[in-house]
Amino acid sequence: MERHFERELDDLKRHLVEMGALVDRQLDDACEALFGGREDLARAVIDRDVEVDVMDNEIDKQCQNILALSQPVAVDLRLLISALQINNQLERVGDIAVNVAERTEALARSTTFLRTSRLQEMIQIARIMVRDSLDSFVSGSAAQAGRVIASDDVVDNLGRETFRTIVRSMQEDNAKIEPGAVMLILIHHVERLADHATNIAEGVIFLVEAKLVKHNPGVL
Amino acid sequence: MGLTESAMHDIKISVRDLNLYYGGKQALRNISLDMPPNRVTALIGPSGCGKSTFLRSLNRMNDLIGNVKINGKVMVDNVDVYDRKVDVVELRKRIGMIFQKSNPFPKSIFENVAYGPRINGLGDRKRLDEIVESTLKKAALWDEVKDELGKSAMALSGGQQQRLCIARALAVDPEVLLMDEPASALDPIATAKIEELIYEFKENYTIVIVTHNMQQAARVSDFTAFFYMGELIEIDETRKIFTSPEKKQTEDYVTGRFG
Repeated sequence: MERHFERELDDLKRHLVEMGALVDRQLDDACEALFGGREDLARAVIDRDVEVDVMDNEIDKQCQNILALSQPVAVDLRLLISALQINNQLERVGDIAVNVAERTEALARSTTFLRTSRLQEMIQIARIMVRDSLDSFVSGSAAQAGRVIASDDVVDNLGRETFRTIVRSMQEDNAKIEPGAVMLILIHHVERLADHATNIAEGVIFLVEAKLVKHNPGVL
Repeated sequence: MGLTESAMHDIKISVRDLNLYYGGKQALRNISLDMPPNRVTALIGPSGCGKSTFLRSLNRMNDLIGNVKINGKVMVDNVDVYDRKVDVVELRKRIGMIFQKSNPFPKSIFENVAYGPRINGLGDRKRLDEIVESTLKKAALWDEVKDELGKSAMALSGGQQQRLCIARALAVDPEVLLMDEPASALDPIATAKIEELIYEFKENYTIVIVTHNMQQAARVSDFTAFFYMGELIEIDETRKIFTSPEKKQTEDYVTGRFG
């Protein structure tokens, strides 16, 4: 017989997956807005952020209630701790979608420059990391979470390379200084996106294997 | 056993290959574990798993039940408690016991506490007064009863009676306290008082507690041992048992998914 408590945990997991789907859609639209120069879509992303915030609060509340009323232990306790951490990271992924959308207007007339930079590739890898981290949560796969964590260096290296390429373009062409400066900010946001995916993956490893890999990559 | 070297540096109670049979039925199977001094070890497990039987085997309370056969070793301070030379009365003085249902003697509060020292030959009234006061203070009962020490113990509330039984056990100056679900019949406030006592007692006593209340085990103990069908499945630091136990059976039990 499935207990009431287990239904609550399932409900929490489902809620987190919905939160993941919502921020993934936000990222999807923010990227389409940015690279397609679509300010209407950027506006929609910014307006929809309130939904992410509402869901963030709901999940926090749900975790608080379970902690207070059911006092979970062992794997259930780890699920609650991971859920709080993952939820927090997803909310910040949502904020990054807004940050990306907010740059659409400034880059609307520089989409060619934007597409020829490796920023698009960088965003793609970071987005795959976010998706894979959520998949690893759903499937309970510490191995998949470990691969997400390993990808963080790829994004960081690509970020440094993209940074240098953009600066070179800015040095060579004065017209690229303004859009280039905005793109440098975007590099930082995308690096943060990969960091959030890494943090989610660390939460999954804690949940599945009870290992704290945060600040301690040697444990992996 | 999963306990760290440092935690087990000193050993107060050491059990090796303990088997216990009630007639033809084996109640404990090859139990081996160590308990450090001045720490609380909680014994958890479903009804009939052997945890109370194990607790009672530590001060030979099972001797009082007929048709019990025991083999293996229970060492307290490196002395085998089942050695024929051991004086059982002396042993139970050193290893006191508190039961689920408070069982004060139908005597006054004073006499309940003075009983142990008296049968040990202490007759000096002044000294008895001192012992009664200090033990009732240790059991956090003094302030509530100091003006009515002559009153019948049976007139106290359930929580007060249980603390009186604790005071009675402390009056003979034990080293180990065995507690068999000491708070299961008490309300939350009385339970909190008992738990606070257990926490304070660590400084002076080694405590072994059987509890069905998982949160109580988590709150009061340093080590937790999980028993199932007469076997010790896992013993480790309590924080480990309640965050990431090694064995699946332990996890299923502490998370309530058992069976």
